Amino acid sequence: MPRFLHTADWQMGRTYSRFEPEDSAALVEARFQAIETLAQLATERQCDAVLVAGDVFDAQTVSDRTIRRVFNATSGFAGPWVMLSGNHDAALVESVWTRAQRLGAVPENVHLALQPGVITLETQGLAVLCAPLTQRHTYGDLTEPFTQYQTPEHLVRVGLAHGGVQGLLAEGIDATNPIAEDRAQTAQLDYLALGDWHGTREINPRTWYSGTPEPERFRNNDAGNALIVSIEGPGDAPQVEVVETARYQWQQWRLSLAVESDLEQLIGRLEALPPATVLDLRLSGEITLAGEDRLNQALSIAEARFRSVRCDRSELQLAPTEDDIAALHADGYLGTVIDALRERQEGEDGESARDALAILASLLKDDNREVQP
Amino acid sequence: MKLQRLRVEQLRQFREPFVLDNLQPGLNLIHGPNESGKSTLVRAIRAAFFERYRSKSVQDLSPWGDSGAAPTVDLQFEHQNTRWHLVKSFLKRTRCDLTVGNATFSEDDAEEQVAELLGYEYSKKGGSKAAHWGIPGLLWVEQGTGQEIEQSVEFAGDHLKSALTSLVGEVASSGGDAVIDKVAAERAVLLTKTGQPTGELRQVAEAREEQQAAVAQLQERVDHYQEQVDRLESVAEEHQRYQQERPWEAAQQQLDTAKRNLAEAERLEAEQRQESETLQRIEQQHQMASRALLQLQRADEQLAERDRERQQAGQALQAAESQGPGVVAELRAATQAFQAADGQLKAARMQENRSRLLRDQSRLAERQRSLTASLDKAREYQALVAAAREQAVRNRIETAAVAGLKNTERALREERIRSQAVATRLSWDLQPQAHLLLEDQALSGQGEQQLLDAARLVIPDIGTITVSPGGEDLAATRRKLVSLEQRFDSELAELGVGSVDLAEQRKAAFDAAERQRKHAEELLRSVAPSGVPALEAELADIVGELEALSQQIEALPKSDSEQQIAPLVEAEARLAHAETQLKAAEQRQRQHQSALLMAEQTRDAAQREWQRLHDDTHSDKRQAERAELQARLTQLQAEMTQKQGSLAERRVKIEQARPDILRQDIDRYQKTITHLQQAQEAREREIREARVRLEAWGAEGLEEQLNETRAAWEQSERRYQELSRRAKALDLLLTLLTEQRQELTRRLQAPLQKHLDHYVSLLFPQAKLEVDEQLQPGRFSRGTELGHVAELSFGAREQMGLISRLAYADLLREADRPTLIILDDTLVHSDQARLDNMKRILFDAANRHQILLFTCHPEKWQDLGVPPMDLQRLKQQGGVVV
Repeated sequence: MPRFLHTADWQMGRTYSRFEPEDSAALVEARFQAIETLAQLATERQCDAVLVAGDVFDAQTVSDRTIRRVFNATSGFAGPWVMLSGNHDAALVESVWTRAQRLGAVPENVHLALQPGVITLETQGLAVLCAPLTQRHTYGDLTEPFTQYQTPEHLVRVGLAHGGVQGLLAEGIDATNPIAEDRAQTAQLDYLALGDWHGTREINPRTWYSGTPEPERFRNNDAGNALIVSIEGPGDAPQVEVVETARYQWQQWRLSLAVESDLEQLIGRLEALPPATVLDLRLSGEITLAGEDRLNQALSIAEARFRSVRCDRSELQLAPTEDDIAALHADGYLGTVIDALRERQEGEDGESARDALAILASLLKDDNREVQP
Repeated sequence: MKLQRLRVEQLRQFREPFVLDNLQPGLNLIHGPNESGKSTLVRAIRAAFFERYRSKSVQDLSPWGDSGAAPTVDLQFEHQNTRWHLVKSFLKRTRCDLTVGNATFSEDDAEEQVAELLGYEYSKKGGSKAAHWGIPGLLWVEQGTGQEIEQSVEFAGDHLKSALTSLVGEVASSGGDAVIDKVAAERAVLLTKTGQPTGELRQVAEAREEQQAAVAQLQERVDHYQEQVDRLESVAEEHQRYQQERPWEAAQQQLDTAKRNLAEAERLEAEQRQESETLQRIEQQHQMASRALLQLQRADEQLAERDRERQQAGQALQAAESQGPGVVAELRAATQAFQAADGQLKAARMQENRSRLLRDQSRLAERQRSLTASLDKAREYQALVAAAREQAVRNRIETAAVAGLKNTERALREERIRSQAVATRLSWDLQPQAHLLLEDQALSGQGEQQLLDAARLVIPDIGTITVSPGGEDLAATRRKLVSLEQRFDSELAELGVGSVDLAEQRKAAFDAAERQRKHAEELLRSVAPSGVPALEAELADIVGELEALSQQIEALPKSDSEQQIAPLVEAEARLAHAETQLKAAEQRQRQHQSALLMAEQTRDAAQREWQRLHDDTHSDKRQAERAELQARLTQLQAEMTQKQGSLAERRVKIEQARPDILRQDIDRYQKTITHLQQAQEAREREIREARVRLEAWGAEGLEEQLNETRAAWEQSERRYQELSRRAKALDLLLTLLTEQRQELTRRLQAPLQKHLDHYVSLLFPQAKLEVDEQLQPGRFSRGTELGHVAELSFGAREQMGLISRLAYADLLREADRPTLIILDDTLVHSDQARLDNMKRILFDAANRHQILLFTCHPEKWQDLGVPPMDLQRLKQQGGVVV
């Protein structure tokens, strides 16, 4: 009974420009760890093989170090790995794969599927039908030839491809590299392992996207898993188990603050998140000066706890209450300035006015702190 | 506030208590000469208020040399109907007591009360300084500082503002200025004064631009890398396709075909060339045979010609032979004529020679005669010269010596005359018998003598009289006379004459002899220029020549007088003619001989030529040759026709094959093959190179670098946006704060300006003095004049300073603050007109404020309308004014 691990879209070599350098480095590191996790998982679950359905690398010209590290990370699983070239790492005449081979970085147990055809893993009872991308984009269905491929009858027939299943996936997936929805059926595959879609997704009982093992963007599409597929024998239905592999949770919240309790709720949600979180927060609405103090404090705590916190407050207006202003002891023309800034928040230069108001408020608070104790 | 009474004790020169009492609510003029204590009183008032009672820095208050003194100031004043009484003692007895109405304060409390009332601070340590003086610092003007108002206003600032604030009912922000300073400082971190980015904002902006450029560059390289990969792909594919199709092989086949066709065409061309060469040869042979035949035909014509030439030569020879006898006869006659002419010429020449010799002979004889006559004359003149020379020798005398003699004589004569003029004349007329002896010379009768020397006159029997001519001239004259006489005599002797006349005569005779000699010599030269001996020699020569001539003439044969001898010229002409005739006859004879010989040879040659040709032409061999030539010509003609036909036929074939085009085809196919192969090689090369290049670029990890750089760029971009947002906000905040603060200041300025205008209009009717934001007197305008107060003259600044202070005082009074004005010898730099105006101003201000005016010039202020207080007098009275 062959059992294999289905994964895809490692996107090695990707960097995270939106984060602070420190966070970015940690997230990059997490992707290398994900490979190690996969290897460990395959070993623990006694898988016969690991199939990687494309986009192992994020780009053709990644550094030599990245190439070596990727293959080094596979060492935790001694069985065969089949790596398919995807659209990011297409098997061009000169590619990341030819470089890896030149570097001598590819271990013997790693099979590179760089040409269309069948890789037979006799011992493992698997015949892997490969449809690698040999150009950056193709407009024809590369799995079409699967119907022609002959494989020994005693072997489980598994397809390995990278692209978008036609007519099923949401917009935003490239129209290029199309794959027929019924390919598993037409090519008499026991299982079709797909890559390209970063979330885990079942197309039909024999056709799955494994998704990326470590999320790398804010898209709530169930990323961060690997699939363990067990097939009793040729023609039998596959048993697919989704195993979570992600280290970091990527959270993206869009919240509008209106009343005091909104802020309370937000703080409550923040406190509930696990430490390995990458959070992207965008706030709108209004907040009092006292509320802003609380928000700042909560975010400060969150920044210390989580991997990364980014908060966009450009649409959150400061609405100081009478009490706020009284607390600031802004007499004389300072009061006039505060009033002017509050009004201006609504106008064209609202952002500057809001920032200016926040700065003024913080200065006055500092002043008061200096005076009061 | 009204100061009513001032009492001091143990304070500088006021060792004893001194009281200044009865001070008026308005103006108080206190005067006294220097060192009368005016400044001490001012100092006492200042000390009472500003100095801490326990201050140790007020040693100056003690009387001089009295370290045990306790300087005390006692002040009574009224403010808002409340009586204040302040007593302060320093140094030895430190104490401060204050009574306000019914309330009493002491020590620090008392001091704080007073400071609060007047609006000033105490020094934390040491003596009070200007910075602490607050409002009194502005209103109490020390000697010589009236013009310096700016700092006083600054030190009084807070008190003034609080006074103003209470007036305009506006709350000046309590911490506003501090906030502005902070905002400005925060803004300065990011922006320059002119709003340009600075500090981190600028660094980030620059960094982001650099990173953006780096990203663009990397992106370009990545694109280039991908292009290269694509290119490699397409080239590799092309290479493979060509490797399978092998188009160069098809071209090779076409090339081979073309080459074969060309070889065939070239063979035809070679044949054509060969055959046309053969044709050419046949044509040449044909030509040669024709030419040979023609030559044979021409030999017959030549034979006839030779026969004609042979006959002509024979006739010519006969003609020449017939001319022979004539020529010989002519030669003989010419020879005879020449000999006759030669004989005549010889005779003529001899005749000629004789007559020439005869002519020479007669000429020489004539010359001999003439020379003999000249020689006679010359000898005669020679004798004359000798006679004259002898005469001259006899009378020789030096002309210069004669002239010198004459000069000496003349001088002597003149000197004698002179001596007679100066000499003592001794004249005598003696009795006939009587005589005298003058220097042993007897004198008698009448006479006269001039005495030049002392002379003894002896009168016999009587004695001797010595006459001594007087004067030195006389002696000199006498000496000169004697000298001249001696010279005259010696010169006469030298010349050897007895007198001057004789000398003259001798000179005349000498001159005459000389003239005679010269004349004779002249004559001699005319007949014998080279001298007599030359003449004699010439004569001897001529005699010799004559003798020789005579001998020659004798030797000549006597001419035959019968024979007519022609003149020489004619004889010569005849001989020349005969010679010419002879030569011509000889020439003709030679020509005839040679013509005869030539004619014979010509005739012989013509005969031979004719004979040879005749023999040749009529031989059998020549006949056979002719026949053979005819036959050969016919055969060659036939061959030519055949070859021409064959050539034309082959030319058509060659033209159809087009070997030129075939050659182009071959060239084309070869080039095609080369190009195809080269292109394929180039592909191989490009593939190789591209692989190497891509390997190198790939190793750089370009896209990973690009991603990293882009991340850094976006990081900078975000940071830049944050910072520039903050900068913008700070800028906005600062602008708003500044605007609001200025707005407030403007509102505060108004009341002060009002009071200032009031005073300025009194001083300068057309002028205006503006208050600036710091509530300082600032811009000053008067008519077209415009400037800052600080730019005015010292006097004007002092006046402006005072009226500004008065304006502040008015303002403070409106705010119910105490206003006491103390002026210590002020306005000393003002002219009379200004001072008058200032008096009006002071008088006006005194309606609202108490003013203490201390001066040492009471006469300047006597029209202030107040009774002056004489400090000197007060001191004598114990300081109490009743």
